[in-house]
Amino acid sequence: MNLEEYKGVFVFAQQVDNKVSGIALELIGEGKRLAEKLSTEVTAVLVGSGVKDLADELAAYGADKVIVVDDPELKEYRTEPYAHALASVIDKYKPEILLVGATAIGRDLGPRVSARVHTGLTADCTSLEIGDFPINPIPGKEQKHNQLLMTRPAFGGNTIATIACPDFRPQMATVRPGVMQKLEKKEGAKAVVEEFNPGFTPDSKYVEIVEIVKNITDTVDIMDAKILVSGGRGVGSPENFKLLDDLAEAIGGTVSCSRAVVDAGWKSKDLQVGQTGKTVRPSVYFAIGISGAIQHLAGMEESDIIVAINKDETAPIFDVADYGVVGDLNKIVPMLTEQIKAAVANK
Amino acid sequence: MDFTLSKEHEMARSLFREFAEKEVKPLAIEVDETEEFPKETVAKMAKAGFMGIPIPKEYGGQGCDVLTYAICVEELAKVCGTTAVIVSAHTSLCCDPILTYGTEEQKQKYLPDLASGKKIGAFGLTEPGAGTDAQGQQTKAVLEGDEWVLNGSKIFITNGKEADVYVIFAITGMIEKRGRMTKEISAFIVEKGTPGFTFGTKEKKMGIRGSSTYELIFTDCRIPKENMLGQQGKGFGIAMHTLDGGRIGIAAQALGIGEGALDRTIAYVQERKQFGRAIGAFQNTQFQLADMATKAQAAQYMVYKAACTKDQYTKDHKTSYNVEAAMAKLYAAEMAMEVTTKAVQLHGGYGYTREYEVERMMRDAKITEIYEGTSEVQRMVISANLLK
Repeated sequence: MNLEEYKGVFVFAQQVDNKVSGIALELIGEGKRLAEKLSTEVTAVLVGSGVKDLADELAAYGADKVIVVDDPELKEYRTEPYAHALASVIDKYKPEILLVGATAIGRDLGPRVSARVHTGLTADCTSLEIGDFPINPIPGKEQKHNQLLMTRPAFGGNTIATIACPDFRPQMATVRPGVMQKLEKKEGAKAVVEEFNPGFTPDSKYVEIVEIVKNITDTVDIMDAKILVSGGRGVGSPENFKLLDDLAEAIGGTVSCSRAVVDAGWKSKDLQVGQTGKTVRPSVYFAIGISGAIQHLAGMEESDIIVAINKDETAPIFDVADYGVVGDLNKIVPMLTEQIKAAVANK
Repeated sequence: MDFTLSKEHEMARSLFREFAEKEVKPLAIEVDETEEFPKETVAKMAKAGFMGIPIPKEYGGQGCDVLTYAICVEELAKVCGTTAVIVSAHTSLCCDPILTYGTEEQKQKYLPDLASGKKIGAFGLTEPGAGTDAQGQQTKAVLEGDEWVLNGSKIFITNGKEADVYVIFAITGMIEKRGRMTKEISAFIVEKGTPGFTFGTKEKKMGIRGSSTYELIFTDCRIPKENMLGQQGKGFGIAMHTLDGGRIGIAAQALGIGEGALDRTIAYVQERKQFGRAIGAFQNTQFQLADMATKAQAAQYMVYKAACTKDQYTKDHKTSYNVEAAMAKLYAAEMAMEVTTKAVQLHGGYGYTREYEVERMMRDAKITEIYEGTSEVQRMVISANLLK
């Protein structure tokens, strides 16, 4: 493999229903930053059916070039034709770096493509840099420059690993959505658009899609939720849980509660967090009006980030909270909801 | 030294035993199965004067000594652990601190109704984060004008929701002690029905299932300034001293549970036949019974000694009884656990059924090693005294 042949930063521009996914724009923003360090360009690879029109949007967010693979076989995401499309693009254009969003689609597609083109892939990265590898020189080992250093949490977030792919190209990474910044939109920006179709011959590996179901599940198992908005006795009444419902909706979270709330009959037992309820480990846990008895902490202290809102500054919940607000939840929670809504709207 | 009980004590015992056999025993299974507080039994006990045995007559009590009270709890526990702890918590944990630390007004106001059993008492110290480490209190009391405002919660409170008068502990501030800021704890008398004072959930327990064990919740609960019990900041001492006395009640309960199980086992092994003879004829059974009876006897002397030492304290206000109480509770509780476990074993498969009642005694016995200070706390108290 002649590494010198591989040039440019490519990003997989994920679209669903002919709408560009947010992760695609985030990857272009990040790709642009990496490309500048390498004095090269960022190319978006747009795969789908009837998606050519989306190229302008990708350009507006910073793509210098857009490669469009447009074919009826690519109407919906399916592993085989999409992997064929992306692998064929790599074979033809030989990118140095290829970024894919770590969405359900990207996590399926990335490994297929990397295996097909025989290169390394780092999954679910949270930080990307261009630098030397090994990071510190090791006597007797060549230190390569301008490598993509891919950083990701490993072992359930207990350690941070920085990984490089010095001997194969492209250097592939799937990137966690929401971590990278998209660029300011430039209306009217144009990119060089190039169409490329490797041809698709459906075979037995092509999955047949029977039905696509789109719905918002009402009942989420709190153990699976990424964000929990948990209320305690301090919420005051079952009606007052509306404040938590609003916050949960704004932030895409699920409402859970403490034992006191279940005992009071405000919520059902399956939403109880704690020693005698469920043990949860979400990315973010909002403890609202929860004093933080050890029996509750035992069920949630492994959460990645704990945000406590309580009027009592000596409440034990603050001992485990990463962020805490002392004050009246009736005032703070609606304000927080508003701020989150505004932030989401601006995104 | 005289090991025989006085005539008065013997008479009192036969009265308690008759009541226990006639009124309490027939209901014991039902109380355990339904987990319902035996209101009617308590009313009958009130009428018989069981709710104020060691309270002086001037405050409406029976004016008897602590030993009489311990014998009462023991006799009740022989047939029903639940009924015994209702009397014990009421007397030792609510009446006693009011009698010891209350002002004359407080005693006049609360003791007659409590001693007559018109009202029931409870004691609120334990919190989710403050069990053995009672100093880890979170409940707060803030003085606003003429009222203390209580916020916080208490758990595992015996007689909770059924009681009318509660002795509650709360933090009233921070004080410097040996260069460190520590919590200043004070005691209060709180009445049921005070706005802001509500009950949480009823605990579902392994044993003493008829005794009502509740969470108490205080949300901006305002009580009059004069409801502070004892001096401000002296709450921890009041709690500890109250528990010293309470331990005699629990020791008597454990003693009664062990003796009750032993009585039933003695009767059972004489009736039950295997291999053509009563199982009591086997030496294994005989030796087991000998061990059980010896330990129960040892426990009884320890409980009675602790009670008599507290009686001495009542007279001279000097004699300390905390070590005697801790030893009695530690030993009696461990005896109860061991004896009830053996009782179930000697009953064989029948002992494991609810019909034969020894399994209930085994379940009831376990809590005596835990509440009013775990066995480990008793060992701390005893060893601290040895090494002082």
